Amino acid sequence: MKRDAAGREANVGVGLRSAHFPALLGRPRTRVRWFEAISENYMDSEGRPLEVLKKIREDYPLALHGVSLSIGGVEGPRPGYLEKLKRLIARVDPFVVSDHLCFTGAHASNVHDLLPLPYTEEAIRTVVANVSRVQDFLGRPIALENVSSYLTYNASEMKEEEFLVAIAKRSGCKILLDVNNVYVSASNHGFKAEAYVDAIPSELIAQLHLGGYSDMGNFLFDTHSRAPTDPVWDLYRRVIRRVPDVPVLIEWDEAIPNWEGLETEAVKAIGIAAEVYALPA
Amino acid sequence: MPSPLELLQQQFTASAIGEADPALVGGIRGGGKLTPAEAVEVYRNAYPARMTEALGETFEACWRMLGDEDFLEACKVYARSVPSQSHNLSDYGSSFPEFLLNRFRSHAPFIGDLGCLEWSFKELFHAAPHAGLTPENLSVAVKSNSVLIFGSAVKLLSFNHKVDGLWKRDRSDDSPLNRSDWEGREQVLLYKSGGTPVFSRTLAAPEASTLRSLFEGRPLDQALAAAEGLDEAAARNLFQFLSEAGIVVEVRNP
Repeated sequence: MKRDAAGREANVGVGLRSAHFPALLGRPRTRVRWFEAISENYMDSEGRPLEVLKKIREDYPLALHGVSLSIGGVEGPRPGYLEKLKRLIARVDPFVVSDHLCFTGAHASNVHDLLPLPYTEEAIRTVVANVSRVQDFLGRPIALENVSSYLTYNASEMKEEEFLVAIAKRSGCKILLDVNNVYVSASNHGFKAEAYVDAIPSELIAQLHLGGYSDMGNFLFDTHSRAPTDPVWDLYRRVIRRVPDVPVLIEWDEAIPNWEGLETEAVKAIGIAAEVYALPA
Repeated sequence: MPSPLELLQQQFTASAIGEADPALVGGIRGGGKLTPAEAVEVYRNAYPARMTEALGETFEACWRMLGDEDFLEACKVYARSVPSQSHNLSDYGSSFPEFLLNRFRSHAPFIGDLGCLEWSFKELFHAAPHAGLTPENLSVAVKSNSVLIFGSAVKLLSFNHKVDGLWKRDRSDDSPLNRSDWEGREQVLLYKSGGTPVFSRTLAAPEASTLRSLFEGRPLDQALAAAEGLDEAAARNLFQFLSEAGIVVEVRNP
């Protein structure tokens, strides 16, 4: 097992997907230390999904990660959403509750996508007001994830990383830094991924995400359909050196490998972190 | 007057669900080598794909019965015309069975009923399991005039077509359907039996009628008396099933 001189091993988890339920219920020996569950998959279920989630919680810490909070929506979270999220939090006691810095619809229509916000002062005020409401209601801080995007707005007034940091500082929320999303957006919009991650203060980072994108030829698409690519691992090296204790997650949502295949990527993340930890300061 | 952010969110949402709004396209730059219009198309194309995936998960048997081409095209049309209003993707499609029936009534008249069965299964799958009385406790407690209280994870469904067999049809069975496969009314009981798995049982008309009376809170003797065609042996079988299925959670005696 790779550890640094302080005995430190990267705290790596994986996204909990139903395809792995049978393997996980067999309680395999694994170096995966925690799981991240999609909040909406369990908020409305009293059946089998919740039963499995509770069983896994008996053995592992859990993070809850939402996709429909719509924290950037001018209408705020949908009625009833926060109550259900709070009930789920009480049931599984997650160490992080997160969602995406985006909006997911308007006028009660949900497109179930992570739509990018313009980087404007109005959007900051909107998100900060929503975060305050959410954190007050839940009684705990949340973390917001930077999303991959395929367009930018002419109306934007600042860089994405400035927007993200301003929201975290003004609202008191944390940042879930998705390293893959930084790389995808940097490639799509022509900015330096390294400069982006360097601009995020260490103390604001609550969690890291690693995933795989698809190269569509004319843009990069955040599909989570493969293992992280070399440039994403390189960016991870840069970040994990600065925040060695932050939990790291491997995400995989399409063409999901078997449990062993997913675990291989988690072990790789642990190994890369160990190499980085061993470097002179 | 909406704010710039509110207006943008309305335009983007409408563009993802329906046609791309020129005002949105005019206010953006495409990522990578995408033109602004192509960048909006990325989101426009992702939307029906995502909704189709959700519909395909819920209405898996309808998909098998209709085939890829018809089902996927129906999903695309439905997604463009019926926006999701829930935070939960698996809530999407409550009106899809009716939509499918209107679209395929001529060659798959059973499709609406099959869709309703799948939707009910989905609802019950996520319902809390109940703790039913054991057969021993039930037989001790029940009197001829008892009122039976059923658990929440129980649904009695009535269809104009036989769909339980279609729903359970082997995935590898691609033989053509005959009219006899779906013609005729059918009563289906979906239920949880203490745990989280969902079971189904087709019922004869007298059984379903009796069960419906019991669900409505009629005492056992009245429900049995009102049942037409339920002979003593059938009544005994029905009660044995109720006892073993664990769907009765309480017995109230006057």
